[in-house]
Amino acid sequence: MLEIKDLHVRIAEDETEIIRGLNLSAAAGEVAAIMGPNGSGKSTLSYVLSGKEDYEVTQGSITYNGQDLLEMDVSERAAAGVFLAFQYPVEIPGVPTMTFLKEAMNAQRKQRDEVELTTPEFIKRVRAAAGDLKIDFNMLKRPVNVGFSGGEKKRAEILQMSLLEPKLCVLDETDSGLDIDALKVVSDGVNHLRDPNRAVIVITHYQRLLEHIVPDTVHVLSKGKIVKSGDKSLALELEEKGYADIIAAAA
Amino acid sequence: MTAHTPRILTDGESALVDAFETAATGSDDQRQAAVDALRTNGLPTRRVEAFHYTDLRALIKGKPRLAGRPDDAATKQAGGAFPRLVKDAAVLHFYDGHHFDRQEPMPAGVDVVADLPAYTVSTEPDQAVEWINVAFAQSGAQISIEPGAQVEQTVGIAHAHTGAENTIAAMRCNIVAGAGSSSRLIDRAMGRDGVNYLHSSMVDLTIEDGAKVDYVLSIEEGDAAQRLARLAVNLGKDAVLNLFILNVGGKLVRQEIDFQVRGEGASLNISGVNLIGGEAHIDVTSTITHHVAHTDATETFRNVATGRGRGVFQGQINVRQAAQLTDARMACNTLLLSDDCDFSAKPELEIFADDVQCAHGATVTDLEDSYMFYLMARGISETRARQMLIKAFVAEIVEELDDDDLVESLEARIDAWMETHV
Repeated sequence: MLEIKDLHVRIAEDETEIIRGLNLSAAAGEVAAIMGPNGSGKSTLSYVLSGKEDYEVTQGSITYNGQDLLEMDVSERAAAGVFLAFQYPVEIPGVPTMTFLKEAMNAQRKQRDEVELTTPEFIKRVRAAAGDLKIDFNMLKRPVNVGFSGGEKKRAEILQMSLLEPKLCVLDETDSGLDIDALKVVSDGVNHLRDPNRAVIVITHYQRLLEHIVPDTVHVLSKGKIVKSGDKSLALELEEKGYADIIAAAA
Repeated sequence: MTAHTPRILTDGESALVDAFETAATGSDDQRQAAVDALRTNGLPTRRVEAFHYTDLRALIKGKPRLAGRPDDAATKQAGGAFPRLVKDAAVLHFYDGHHFDRQEPMPAGVDVVADLPAYTVSTEPDQAVEWINVAFAQSGAQISIEPGAQVEQTVGIAHAHTGAENTIAAMRCNIVAGAGSSSRLIDRAMGRDGVNYLHSSMVDLTIEDGAKVDYVLSIEEGDAAQRLARLAVNLGKDAVLNLFILNVGGKLVRQEIDFQVRGEGASLNISGVNLIGGEAHIDVTSTITHHVAHTDATETFRNVATGRGRGVFQGQINVRQAAQLTDARMACNTLLLSDDCDFSAKPELEIFADDVQCAHGATVTDLEDSYMFYLMARGISETRARQMLIKAFVAEIVEELDDDDLVESLEARIDAWMETHV
């Protein structure tokens, strides 16, 4: 589903290279965890996958379901099924959450030549998904993320993910800022979306999230490269020994 | 002694004078005085302070003639493209500056005389809006709201241009809201895109002691139209005015709004949305004068400029010496969306009282990148994302109007503008 080859990325503004020759693949049905210390390029990778403008790809390729992802703009990628759950979801005053959700769902349906959702059908779906994630429906009457707590914002991200039914989910430090109960709810939400036709990339600092969302593969990112890959036991090893040892051993 | 040589008029100025002389609107002293003022001063340039950002002498072009009374078929067609903003209004209809009696019964407590109100013209060099109106006004109305009347039904003043190229349409209304009355008025100006016409409108609104008026001014002129207009308001003791202005049309709009706050306890709440796209030049020039103590005024404009649009907001607040404890606040927030658009905001405070609160602020921004990224990361196209954020920026002001039907209608006009310009 996703094939990243020899990717080099720098910050457009100051030309600092962040990703330095990264190779990664994720198959349909796979849950891949990407772990790494601060500054290793984890968030940059998520932004590059979603197409944020501030980054410049200088070398390498990203292929998504046979398409050149780098040729697509942000909304085209999303409409094609790439979903980024933000580390810091943005508050957008003045845009009602329900309007936003409906626009987003219909934009994707339009891309797939499907008819727009009727309002009752739309509301039915949102109610059901909100119920699963223990989100108070009244909260969705507010502007996008405005006045949401940290945990509520993360749950709202997963709500969007479940409504938009993406094919490739990228979760950028979804566990940060979550208490244990919220972590459980969010993880259940993600597990619920595990599907043979869907790939999930979980970006995290800590092994804790991976106790709830058990990965098929684990990759260690350091200085813009994957330095080690393995199965879920690699995450446990990291937890035990810390990044320094593993990275030193891999170098 | 230096003899005054007559000014050489520009083509635009002489065209106006010619139009007046050809139209022969009658030997009226005020009309003559208005044209003489135009002839003597010419249209204002940037050197006239009040027109610093809107050089009428350069902007007024063409060879217009005074619009004749259109036939019924033309008037029916002109209104068709503009559905009513609220369902329940009793509307006074004007086409090309001429009143048409459509037999809409006015609500109880509202008296209308469909005559052009008298006006004494000023010959000061910055009064061009007056000169043109007084010289050319064809018809108008005098609307009286009886003291104490609580008028539920909206009273509408609707002007539509029928599409006659190069014509001048001018009208003038006087409105008196009697003491203790309560009413809502919607003043609307409409015209077809692509038609070059000049619309002049003046409204004098007097709000007597304890009266409350909600006033909506919806400017939906065609995209080749020129509009020179003024709304002048006098507020008595404990009078309340809630004014909302929407600008979604016109190639050149000079909309003057003047408020004389003359009664203690009077309260003025002005808000507006100016959408400036294409080649439009939209100028809203506001003057608020607090004459007495204990009055308040808030003024908030949200502007969106794109294309090669030019926007102007001049906001003057005068606080006279007697006007202690005035509370006046003004904000002008602008979204600049293209490289070739611009917006000029000029606040002016002139305060002669020592115990007052006056604040003004102007901001200029582009759409927030992080918002755009978030919306697009959910599959929303760049254009739709922009429209959603622009809508959010202006809707905050529109939605303060306490009437869902009206808000929906105004937002539909805003959406239509965005479809063309965003």
